Order: sequence, then C-alpha cells, then structure tokens
Amino acid sequence: MENNDILIMKSISKSFPGVKALDDVNLNVRQGEIHFIVGENGAGKSTLMKVLSGIYPTGTYNGDIIMNNEIKHFHGINDSVGCGIVIINQELALFSNLTVYENIFVGHEIRKSNGLIDWDLTKETAKKYLDMVGLDVDIHDLVGSLSVGKQQLVEIAKALSHNVKLLILDEPTAALNEDDSENLLQLLKTLKNEGITSIMISHKLKEVEAIADSLTVLRDGKTIIRMERSEINEQEIIKNMVGREIADIFPKRKKYEGGEVVFETVHLNAYDKEKNRFLVNDVNIKVRKGEVVGIAGLMGAGRTEIALTIFGNSRKYRTTGNTIVFGKSVNLSSPKIAIENGIAYVSEDRKRNGLILTENITENVTIAALKSISRNGVLNFIKQAQVTESYVKRLEIKTPSVLQKVRNLSGGNQQKVQVGKWLCVNPKILILDEPTRGIDVGAKFEIYTIINQLIENGMSIIIISSELPEIMGMCDRVYVIAEGVQTAEFNIEDATPEKIMEKATL
Amino acid sequence: MKNTKKINPILRYFYTLISMFRTNIRDYGMYIALFVIFIIFTIMTGGIFLSPINFTNLLNQTAYVAVLAVAMTLVIVTRQIDLSVGFLGAYLGAYVVVAVENNDEKVWWALVSALIITIAVGFIKGFAIAKIKVPSFVVTLAGMFIFKGLLMLKTNNRTISTSNEFFNKIGIGYLTSIKIGGFDLISLIFGLSLIASLIIGSSLSRRKKKALGIPNERLEIFLTKMVFMSGIIFFLTYNLAIYKGLSYLLLITIIVVVIYFFITTQTVLGRRIYAVGGNPEAAELSGISVEKIIVFVFISMGILSLVSGIMYVSRTQNTSPNHGPFWELYAIAAAYIGGTSANGGFGKIVNAVIGSIVIMSLKNGMALAGVDANIEPIVLGSVLLLAVVFDIYTRNVRGADLVGMHYAKMKFKNDLIRAKQEQAKVKLELERAKKDNKPNLLDYEYKYTNATAELAKIRELIRSAKEEDYIRA
Repeated sequence: MENNDILIMKSISKSFPGVKALDDVNLNVRQGEIHFIVGENGAGKSTLMKVLSGIYPTGTYNGDIIMNNEIKHFHGINDSVGCGIVIINQELALFSNLTVYENIFVGHEIRKSNGLIDWDLTKETAKKYLDMVGLDVDIHDLVGSLSVGKQQLVEIAKALSHNVKLLILDEPTAALNEDDSENLLQLLKTLKNEGITSIMISHKLKEVEAIADSLTVLRDGKTIIRMERSEINEQEIIKNMVGREIADIFPKRKKYEGGEVVFETVHLNAYDKEKNRFLVNDVNIKVRKGEVVGIAGLMGAGRTEIALTIFGNSRKYRTTGNTIVFGKSVNLSSPKIAIENGIAYVSEDRKRNGLILTENITENVTIAALKSISRNGVLNFIKQAQVTESYVKRLEIKTPSVLQKVRNLSGGNQQKVQVGKWLCVNPKILILDEPTRGIDVGAKFEIYTIINQLIENGMSIIIISSELPEIMGMCDRVYVIAEGVQTAEFNIEDATPEKIMEKATL
Repeated sequence: MKNTKKINPILRYFYTLISMFRTNIRDYGMYIALFVIFIIFTIMTGGIFLSPINFTNLLNQTAYVAVLAVAMTLVIVTRQIDLSVGFLGAYLGAYVVVAVENNDEKVWWALVSALIITIAVGFIKGFAIAKIKVPSFVVTLAGMFIFKGLLMLKTNNRTISTSNEFFNKIGIGYLTSIKIGGFDLISLIFGLSLIASLIIGSSLSRRKKKALGIPNERLEIFLTKMVFMSGIIFFLTYNLAIYKGLSYLLLITIIVVVIYFFITTQTVLGRRIYAVGGNPEAAELSGISVEKIIVFVFISMGILSLVSGIMYVSRTQNTSPNHGPFWELYAIAAAYIGGTSANGGFGKIVNAVIGSIVIMSLKNGMALAGVDANIEPIVLGSVLLLAVVFDIYTRNVRGADLVGMHYAKMKFKNDLIRAKQEQAKVKLELERAKKDNKPNLLDYEYKYTNATAELAKIRELIRSAKEEDYIRA
C-alpha cells in the first residue's frame, strides 16, 4: 500500500447481459500524475470510469474503490463529486441554451443568505475559473455558440468549481483540432503543477507519449499492463492493446482489378434549413463493382450526411445534384426508393437509428425485407425464422436463440445483426458508416472478413470511418471530406495516413 | 454429473410451472388482478357478480371501451396519444341517430357518411401529427374540444331517443338461436370452436417451433396451459349460454379483436407499426414510411371510435350531449393496465381488452356491492397506478429455472456452505481489526470483499442454472 496512491481500483468486475465488460481490473493512480488509460474500443475504459464516478453505483459491480486509503462506496455521481472526482465525458454535459457562467454553477449555485442565487458572486467566480483554464470568452455567451474546444474548457472550469482532486477526461481530444488539443494538454500539465491528478482516456498515442506519467492498458475488460513514464513507447502500447500483430487486423483480400461504375453522385449538395448551411457541398464520388471505397474525414465533416443524402434523404435536406445508379439517374427521395435501387445503409449509431433494441433478432433482421417473407401482407413465420437463422450462421452472430432481444447482445453482435438486416434486402451497394465503432478487436476482424466475402460476391461497398488504419487496411480508393467539401481522392497505394489527415483538416 | 439424483417428477412439474410463472410474471399480472377482482366482488355481492345475468351484462358494458382500447393500444404503441376519441365517438353516434331519427335517412347511408367523416378526421389528425409534427397531445386535445362542441350542436343540447330497429338490435339484441337443455346453442358452438382453434393453433405453432429448432415449453406445462385456458373459455361460454347467449355487442367486439389481433401478430403492417413505435428513426431508415403508419393508426382509431359510438347510442337507445366524457381516458387506462408501454413499441391487443374488463369490473362490481359512487374513481385511479408500477417493476425480471437451481443447489451445496462460513469468519476478523484499529485494515477489507465476491459467484451460478445443463451431463 503505497501512500502516494490517490486512487486504487482493486479487482473491479462488472457484467452486462451477454458481456463481461470488466473482469478483475486493477488501476493504481499516484497523487499528482497524469495517468492514461488506453485500449481498443470496447476494452472497458469508459465502463471503468463510470464505475469510478458512481454512474454505476456501488453494488452493481464487484471490487473496491480506494481513495486516499479509504474504501469508497459511491451511490451516485454526487458522491464521487463530493470526493473531488469529476468526470468529463465524450459527450459534454453542458446546457447549450444557458450561458457560460450558468453552466459552470448549474447544480451547485452560489446562494445568498436568503436562499436566492447570488449572481454577482457567481459571475465573479466564473471569471476566476475561466482565467485558470485560460479561456478568453464573455461569460454571458451561450455555451451553444462556442466551439467544441472552448466548450471542453468550460467543462474543465466547471470541474474546478467542484474543487476537483481527480479529473477524468474521456477522449477529450477526439473532436478537437490540433491547436485545441495542444492547448488542452498544456492545461493538464498546468493543473498537474497545482496538484490536480488527471486520468485520461485516449486513442491518440502521440498524446500519450507526450504527457503521460504512467498508463494502464486494458484489453477485453482485463488489465494487461501498467507502464511507467520511462517504459512508454508507441509500439509497446499497441502490442499490448491489440494483443496480436497489427498485420492480422485486416484480413487479406485479392487485389481489386476494376469494374464498371455502379454508383455515382454528380455535384451533390445538401442544405440544412435548420442549421442554415450546406452539409454536403458539391460532392462527386464514384463507386465501381467489387470495389471498397472509403470516405475519410473528421467527425462532423459531413460524411454521415453524404450517406444519408444518398440513402433516401430521410433528414429532409434540400438537395441538388444527380445520383446515378447503374447508369440511370435516380431521384433517391426516400429510404424505400434507395433500397429498391439496391442501396443499403448500416448506420453509424446502431442504437439510435439502426436497431430496434426492444425487439428480438428475428424482427430486426427482417424488418427491411418484410415483403420478401410475406404473401399478401401476411407474414410467413417459418420463412422469417429460417432467413434469420441463415444470417445468424453466416455472420456468426453469437446468441442463444434468434428470439434473443437485441438489447442483450454485445456491440459486435448487434453490429452483425445490423449487417444481416441489410444483407436481407440483397443490396448491390452497401454503405457502412463507422462499421466497427464500439466493438472489440475480434469482432472487428469478423466484420472485415464479412466485407471481403461480400466484395468477392461482387458487391460494392462504401466505408465511412474516422479510423485511418481501417481506411488504409480495407479500402481500394478513398475520398477525403472536410466541412462538407470533397478535398481529395486517393488510390490506396498513393495514400498515407498523414496525407489523408492533412486533407481532412483543411 | 452421472450420480446426481434425479428430481422427483411431481416436484419438477411444480418447479417448472412456478419458474414459467415467475419468468413471465409481467404477462400474467393482469390476469391475476382480474382474478382477484372477480373473487372480491363475488364475495362482496354474495355471488351476484358472477351470476350469468350480471356477467353477460358486464361484458356488454365493456364492449364500447374494449373497442376503443384496441385501437388506442396501436396509437400508444406508436408513441402517440388520442384524447379526442371520446367526444368523437359520441359525436358520430349522435350524427347517425340524428340522421336516422330527424332526417329520416336510411341507417346504412348514415353509417357510410359517418365512416367517411371519421376517416377524414383520422387522416387530418394523422397528417398534422406525422407531417406537420404537431404533438399528438395538442392535436387531439383540440379535437376533444371541437367534437364536444359539434356533439352539442348536433344534438341541439337535448337528448334524442331512438326506437329504430337497428339500434335496438345492436344495443340489446342477442343472436337468435335454439336453446338446448336451457343452453344457447350458438354460444356453445362458438365457445367450443374457440377451444378447438386454441388447441389446434397452439399445437401447430408448437410443431413449427420444433421444426425450426426453437425451444418449446415442456409438454406437461403446455398441457396445463391448454387445460387452464380451455377452462376459462368454457366458463365464459357456460355463463353466456345459460342466459341469453351471444349479444351483438359482444359479437362485434370479438370480430374487432380478432381482426386487430391478426393485423398485429400476422401481418407486415403490424410489424411495421411496432417497428415505428420501437425506434422511429431506425424504421424510417429501414424503408418504412413513418408518416403513413401514423396516419393509418389514427384512421383506425377513428373507425373504431365510430364503432364504439354506435355501440353506446345503441345500448342507451338515445344520443345525448352528455355522452363522451372519460371514454378516451378509460381506453387509455385499459391499454396501460394491459401493459402497453408509454415508451412505445410494446402492447398487446388482447391485454388491452383484459384491461377494459378490469376497469368495467371495478365499476360494475362496486355499483353492485353498493359502494359509494364517489369512491369508484379513487379505486380506479389507484388500480391504474398500481398496474403501471407493477409493469415497470417486472419489466426486467430475470427468469429463473427452479429445476436447474435444484440440481445446482445439490451440486454446489458444499461450496456454498464453505463460502458462507469463510465470509462469516472474515467478517468477524474485520470487525475485530476495526475495534483494535489495526494499521493494515485495508487487507482485512480486501479479504472480506473477496469472500463476499466468492459467495456471490456461487449464488449466481445457482441462480442462473438451467435444467438442460444437468440432464445432458
């Protein structure tokens, strides 16, 4: 028991239906260090932090949280905040309709003796915290009007107002540009000098190398290794994260030899009336038979919007331009028409708009193809079960039965259900939007293998991804998108991650 | 485990029965509630409640609410609500009665006009909600006011009675048939064929599942269910047959329920309705037109409001400006009592009908037992609240296989005892250490946590045990 450990998480285990998210995880963090937690998506990092911050209250997990040599039982987020643990999530917990100073003190307002809010003191204190994080904005600004980088700083100011001792940041730089990221890392160093310990979850190993004092690698819900500053190097981290050679991540496929163009957009524009701007701006992409085309770009660059515009424009953007499917100009004005024209779209957010979580696998797999398993509008349940069974086998969906609720499946299996749902409609062009987000390495490999099989059967695939290795490993050709504009096109042999990144951050 | 002692078959039967009951408690809760209500009122009224005459009367009373509740279930499944159906139904009833009595129109013509009106109204509601995106609460609240006004205009604020043969037949008529030994033949045939189709249908679906390799319930459990359900249907049939047989009100209700049951469970349309309720965005991206589905649901609500309105004016043999209030709320309450989820995507037609019977039993039973009429709404409200609380509590109930647990308990008996003793020992040590204020208190805490975890692990093993794991071994 070293005395300078501010936090020890000992033998933490937590299960969800169908998955063991954390399995005997240990984490030690010393007073005043910047500690990183790294691991693939689905390794259990966020779950671990939710346990620590009391979002998963005591009793829902096994193991102990020890802070300053005392076992803590957090029943909710208020308890952990009371101990000086503040978590800043990927999705910022700010109110975009409130001002900066209101946001900082929401939930722990400064009051006068008569119980009313002391606005003068609030504003004064808010300014003080903004100075500490080096944010130069008017405190009367609405948070919604600030850039993501600035909002992030408001969150940290809010944490400071809670008298934070242990600051947890879950992928804080994922949505930031380089300058903002650099600022944030500098700020963490400054805070460290003031005695604030930080735990940071990050995928950016360069960052880790730059500022980590120590780190813990998680894989498949287990602690793999704890590394000290002197031992940290990128190769070693990756090896521990992945647990296998990197070359194995992408299954081999025979080289693409060219084919006729099956899909094309000509000067495609999509204008969002509510946001008052172009989300897709003069995009021209071509997809050939048997080809995997990548669409790379940062989050929010308009990649999903391109896909949704092609796939029947369900968000009702105002569009101009042409879409040409198999040599014919088609007005893809609803998902139904898109499906009828052989286009399918596996959505990026499977829980929000991909699956019906409360229904079972059978219902989800067949929901887009009910016509083919019915006669005169009456369903044929035998056919429905057989079709589902065949996809469960083909995609190797791990489930006790086809009647299992999709909610109870792991992320990787949910994703396969989504893929199965679209294979059911026999598409010629399959759009995969972040196909491996939030699923573990093994399942990723399986998804990639499925993609290769489909390509060999003559399908054409568009992969939208923010993970450059995925683009580099899977695509034959890649388009780069930045702020709705198509900024580059590469054959994969000519592309490097650096080149793509450069074009994506124009 | 070759030498595990086989469980006693009778014990296994009851264990499996209880396991099934516990696992599906959410589905059975409402039936239990209904059963309890029936027993209470039968005792309170000295048996009059379940007498053939009152029982027939109860079902006839329920008809107009049940019809509304059926359509309302679909509205709620798609995450909407319709507050206008009470006054809409009353208005349409008034429309038909006035057309027939005051304007001497033919009944069929009045019905067709009313149908056109209600389809148009349903379309407008659905369009405003799905396309213009006005919240359904607001649209139908507006409709509620509007139809209340139209009802008063139509009736000229007076009660208008009717003695037309059509209303007479629908409202208080029974299917004509022969009595055999004091029993009404048609309802007997009806009941028996219902039992037959239940048994045949269930056996077929059992065979289907078997062919597809989907696990079936055990044969003895299946048989128990069949005997139990046949018994209930037989009791219903007996009670109806010994009095006047099958009323037109009941016949219409049964037809409506059968149609909606078929739509929701067997058709593409039904699957789409539930998909839209479960996740509208995913449904839209699956090529389903959410707008069309919602418009359909409101048109269906309109049509059944007409049916309900006709039933009501027929039963009362008049139309009155006082008709309409609370109908929609009874229907909504019935759907909720029947376990329809306010979050959308879940709700069963038959359960909504049972929900209606629960509500009307309370009303009928309390009136019969001479309970103060002012108490009735309080009881009704409490039952509604209890039903929904029950539903939420049992939503994530985890199934347990008592037979598997029985085997697992035998297998892990010694481990369990050891783990319990270990935990007790460590706990004692920890308490002693705390008292002595030892410096390495944390070590004791670790030990205690580990022992607790070990115990929890074994308990979990037992709890999640399945019978299959032990039979094959």
